[in-house]
Amino acid sequence: MIRVEQLVKAYGPTLAVDHLDFEVGRGEIVGFLGPNGAGKSTTMRILCGALGATSGRALVGGIDVLEDPLGVKRLVGYLPEVPPLYTEMTVRQFLRFCARIKRAPDPNEAVERVMKRVALDGVAHRLIEHLSKGYRQRVGLAQALVHSPQVLILDEPTSGLDPAQRVEIRDLVRELAHGEVTVILSTHVLSEVEAICDRAIIVHRGRIVAQDTMAALSQQGSNLRVVVARPDDALPTTLAALPGVVSVTADGTGAFQVRADRDIREGVAAAAVRCGLLELAPQRALEEVFLQLTRDAA
Amino acid sequence: MTPSVILALSLREVRASYTTVVGWLVLCGWLFLTGVFWLFSVTSYVEASQDLVFDPYRASQLQFTTWLFAPFFGNLSIALLMFAPLLSMRSFSEDLRNRTLELLLTSPLSTSEIVVGKYLGQLWNIVVLLGASAVFPMFLLQWASPDPGALAAGYLGLLLTGSALVSLGMLASSFTANQIVAAGLTFSVSLVLFIADWNAQDDPDGFFSQIAILAHLSDLLRGEVRISDVVYYLAFTAFCLFGTHQRLESFRWR
Repeated sequence: MIRVEQLVKAYGPTLAVDHLDFEVGRGEIVGFLGPNGAGKSTTMRILCGALGATSGRALVGGIDVLEDPLGVKRLVGYLPEVPPLYTEMTVRQFLRFCARIKRAPDPNEAVERVMKRVALDGVAHRLIEHLSKGYRQRVGLAQALVHSPQVLILDEPTSGLDPAQRVEIRDLVRELAHGEVTVILSTHVLSEVEAICDRAIIVHRGRIVAQDTMAALSQQGSNLRVVVARPDDALPTTLAALPGVVSVTADGTGAFQVRADRDIREGVAAAAVRCGLLELAPQRALEEVFLQLTRDAA
Repeated sequence: MTPSVILALSLREVRASYTTVVGWLVLCGWLFLTGVFWLFSVTSYVEASQDLVFDPYRASQLQFTTWLFAPFFGNLSIALLMFAPLLSMRSFSEDLRNRTLELLLTSPLSTSEIVVGKYLGQLWNIVVLLGASAVFPMFLLQWASPDPGALAAGYLGLLLTGSALVSLGMLASSFTANQIVAAGLTFSVSLVLFIADWNAQDDPDGFFSQIAILAHLSDLLRGEVRISDVVYYLAFTAFCLFGTHQRLESFRWR
């Protein structure tokens, strides 16, 4: 559905996007991960036709973004980091306006459908300026969906929301995709990617440092937290001697952090059980991978 | 260009002007000022006709067009110079400030559709102002029969001036997210263009006389429609709209 080949966006001598190559299949939900300034938003804006690229190609639904931006904009729904809302309008008025400028075949019907889909029918007559942040984000999502796009591009859709609103938006996105819509979303929140996405693309300084399914990325390394009741001097040495272990750090209260390049849970459990194993918890694998990759690339 | 899309953009533009207090304040201020101008124009016309009652030759020269409408419309054009920037200042500045330009730029709209849609909305706001001011000349129709052609030419002149001013305002507002800066810029540039022939009135074919807005307006206000004047306003508007179009295109390459 989306194919990006050798995409470059230069600002003077700085490359915000540095020869990116990736593909996204129909119905896939892909997380775009990276620290601030990694080039996530720039890539997303190029994909939805709002920004030109310096070189390379980006195809959405087989249409080249640079050759036919209008054709691509018909296929893409885009929600920027700050939802673009005319706050002096009511929700229904605003969505009708969006449906018309996005050339939805039957604007009125499209608005009613999308309001039902993102649960906005209760606030249809309210002015957007009087809505909570969570509802505004829903209106932003609704404007991206009103013309039934095949691709949904969401730039930090949950930033600035409280945890409950975050979960709501997350569930909504997962429900929306459901195999019909291809979704690319960028975020800082790793748990979000783990919860929603089929695949993650990790970018750093405009380059892709890793792209794989969530399971494969998580298996790239393993970080375990081990807590024992009776720590002794031999335990760290035993743990460090296990095959694949990269480092062992102790905090002096019986808790150990064990980093390895493979799954070592069984070996760690066997070694720790004689010291009175209390807890064996895998640490956030993706977070570890993310930090490691962006640090290595630096 | 799709008419329904352009209509949607223009209607939003008009609605936005009147959902804030600015639009209503502009309309009230305009009605008050045009009322005062009309009062002055009628008073001076009445005084002139009283003075000329014993001079039959000069009294026959006392026409509505030259003695009443031309000064009234002249004053309205100066009022437009102040009010048009207040209306057009939000056209792109507000979109830049609230980041709603992103919505327009990522929707399947051509840049021309965005510019024309917004321009027609702004032009409609000028039509509303001129329509509101027409209540005074209409009042006169009850007791007298002024030349309708001269009235129409006067309003055509004001509409063309308004069109030029709002297109200049749109161009200025596409450069800044600050509405006050946009209005100030529009007012300053249009003031200079209004009086560009200040020192060159004895040379009607000179450069400054050719670019001055007032020089082209004065004939229309006297009831004379010349193609060259109409072309001047249309070219002015087209130039500013083209500039705005190029400015919006540049956002794709920043």
